[in-house]
Amino acid sequence: MERLILAASECDPEEQIICTPDSVNDLFELPFFFGDSLNRTMWLTLFAGLLVVAFFYFAFRRKSLVPSKFQALGEMAMGFVRDEIAIGIVGREHGLKYFPYLASIFFFILIGNLFEVVPFILFPVTSRIGLPIFLALITWFIFLIAGIRAQGFGGYFGHLVWPPGVPTALKPLVGAIELVSVILVRPFSLAVRLFANLAAGHVMLSLLLLSAWVFLAALPTGNLAGLWGLLWAGLGLFIYLFEILVAILQAYIFTLLSAVYIQTSVEVEAH
Amino acid sequence: MDALIMAVDEVATGLSGDISGSLALIGYGLAAIGPGIGIGLVAGNAVQAMARQPEAAGMVRTTMFLGIAFTEALALIGFVLFFIA
Repeated sequence: MERLILAASECDPEEQIICTPDSVNDLFELPFFFGDSLNRTMWLTLFAGLLVVAFFYFAFRRKSLVPSKFQALGEMAMGFVRDEIAIGIVGREHGLKYFPYLASIFFFILIGNLFEVVPFILFPVTSRIGLPIFLALITWFIFLIAGIRAQGFGGYFGHLVWPPGVPTALKPLVGAIELVSVILVRPFSLAVRLFANLAAGHVMLSLLLLSAWVFLAALPTGNLAGLWGLLWAGLGLFIYLFEILVAILQAYIFTLLSAVYIQTSVEVEAH
Repeated sequence: MDALIMAVDEVATGLSGDISGSLALIGYGLAAIGPGIGIGLVAGNAVQAMARQPEAAGMVRTTMFLGIAFTEALALIGFVLFFIA
């Protein structure tokens, strides 16, 4: 952000009212401590993880029957993931087995997403494709292994390529589509959904709020076009509130879809 | 007849002439129409279901989010093309 504001302040608002950064990467890739080897994204990822661990450590450090406010908050958050996602989607039988994983990714992605709207950070770590791909691959491995464990290797992949309950003539076609959709499209769309939502939100916020800043900075020079800045600021603040919703919703949806994929793997279909 | 041929020629040069910029952006705009309509259908029908049967609101909401997530994926894949193209 600093370099971007620098780039914006270097340009002359009277000549060129919107100052563009050199490349889109400037919005994302900023070296921070230790030069290029560890950038801001990595530090923030680490910070997000530590924040989740610290929150639940302190929330559940001294458990009591009558919970303190902090413990009640932690219990409420955990209870939501357990009841709505783990048990609600995966089912009573297998839900609790996958609850730790679902809770971990939910809170990690939630904090990572909320960094987008936290003042002085203003950068969602999940808007770098590497992190969503990694998280999606973990989910991919877990639901594949869960399916193989529940139905056996032949049983799981057999049901995929030769689905029961489908007319025989259609089985090869449906099987091929199912196989591609489960093996390729699921992890890809899971990763891309999280990445694209957060990256789009970040670009949108950066554009609107920086435009507002540049336009309003042009006002003292007597350029009345700078009044457009009020519009950009208003729109930017509206999108800012909207992005809080998106951050929470995307964490929820990623966890929900992981749970749905696990559920379809562990559930043995009736013939 | 000559005038007609000239007019067609003008239109043709006009079409092949001054348009510039990234085709991917137009493609994304077109690609976003479908999911936009789809999400509208999903959310609208979910609201209708919740209004008709408020007891089922929790279940409908979860399913609605799932439906929105699947529909939205298409638009978001289009967004990624912007980075690739």
